[in-house]
Amino acid sequence: MNSKKASLRGMVYASMFGAMTALGAYITIPLHPVPITLQSLFSNLAGALLGGYLGALSQVIYVLLGVMGLPVFAGGKAGLGVLLGPTGGYLIGFVVGTYLIGKIIEVKEKPGLTRVLFSMIVGHIAIYGLGIIQLSVVAKLSLAKAVAVGVIPFLAGDALKIIAAAVIALKVRDWIKF
Amino acid sequence: MINVYKLGQYTPGGSCVHKMHPLSKIIVVIALSIIIFRAGAFVLAAVGGFLAAIMLLSRLTVKYVLKAIRPALPFFALLFLVHLFCTGGTPIPPFPLWHVSITYEGLRQGALLVWRFVLLVLSASLLTMVTSPSELIIGMERLLKPLRFLGISSSDLAVMLSLALRFMPALLEEIDRIREARLARGADFNKGSLLKRTKAITSLAIPLTLNTFRRAEELAAAMEARGYRRGPRTYLKELTMAPLDYIVIGAAVIAGVASFIFS
Repeated sequence: MNSKKASLRGMVYASMFGAMTALGAYITIPLHPVPITLQSLFSNLAGALLGGYLGALSQVIYVLLGVMGLPVFAGGKAGLGVLLGPTGGYLIGFVVGTYLIGKIIEVKEKPGLTRVLFSMIVGHIAIYGLGIIQLSVVAKLSLAKAVAVGVIPFLAGDALKIIAAAVIALKVRDWIKF
Repeated sequence: MINVYKLGQYTPGGSCVHKMHPLSKIIVVIALSIIIFRAGAFVLAAVGGFLAAIMLLSRLTVKYVLKAIRPALPFFALLFLVHLFCTGGTPIPPFPLWHVSITYEGLRQGALLVWRFVLLVLSASLLTMVTSPSELIIGMERLLKPLRFLGISSSDLAVMLSLALRFMPALLEEIDRIREARLARGADFNKGSLLKRTKAITSLAIPLTLNTFRRAEELAAAMEARGYRRGPRTYLKELTMAPLDYIVIGAAVIAGVASFIFS
């Protein structure tokens, strides 16, 4: 594990996944009521394929790309203001959630579909949890209203993405060497 | 095709704002964001004036700057409406109509909140309009130096940021290629059942992920072959802090701390 952390290859992988998460904002698949973007798919994949430390690092890179002014946050937003604003909690959630996904998956050498799915659900709970807390504190909404604005519209799309991410992770993982 | 060169909002220029050290500009934006969250209506108006002055100094047009807040507008509008309709207090005539009511308190609270967020987004966008991405990376590396106590090297982060920046156009091309290859075979991302759409996602993401790993591996090998090692590095363009930078940083820190204590 330690060699994985320190290797140049791991560093490059993490920055690639940061870039992929960023581009995920531009790949949209129409679905009602809210179209799906693929950011959280790639952040989940980063956790599942790179492990906790590198996965979280890739999401830090993603957030920093946005803070630098690239329009890579949901809906083409950018800047430090987004991180501190009402929807910034989701971005912190990406870092924490990806870390959790990686840690849960790393426990086993070859985790099965159930474990991968479970880890991604836990990851999404972290994303939503932190997202709602910041939304309700910063935008001065009650928790119930924050859930109505910040969770319910995205549930269907996220369920779809979790399944897709788990399938992809299992198919791709044998091709990756560290 | 998504236009790669539209990513980022930097406009080159020679104004004194452009020429400042990126670290001092970043610190000013951080101080501003603290002030914006803690301040009342009067100070918020002053912050708006300050941002307008910076805009004039760096010779940016109003139209270009306003474009930066457009993506966030729908969400701001939603927040405003939630506050407008869901705050208790004195109703504005002719409300309450039926069960709907708008109050003075809700109007004030909603407007103040949205103004705060607009200022927050504006200040950060101005930073990226007057600072090139590579300068911002240098500034962030300086800013994140204290992270070394957590075992994270800020120079590693800076290298990773440049790598990610460098590879985004290549990845975009890759995505386009895969999408066109799928279209040529008659795939349609916009139609079909849920299962079909999930399959459409995987058919895009699997080749993308595999190709990305291959590219990353090649890049790592190329870097190793050229003797890259981690640790402190030098820059093509060394930036130095001018006296003005120290004054600006000092003022920003004082203003930030003061607003944190006094309001």
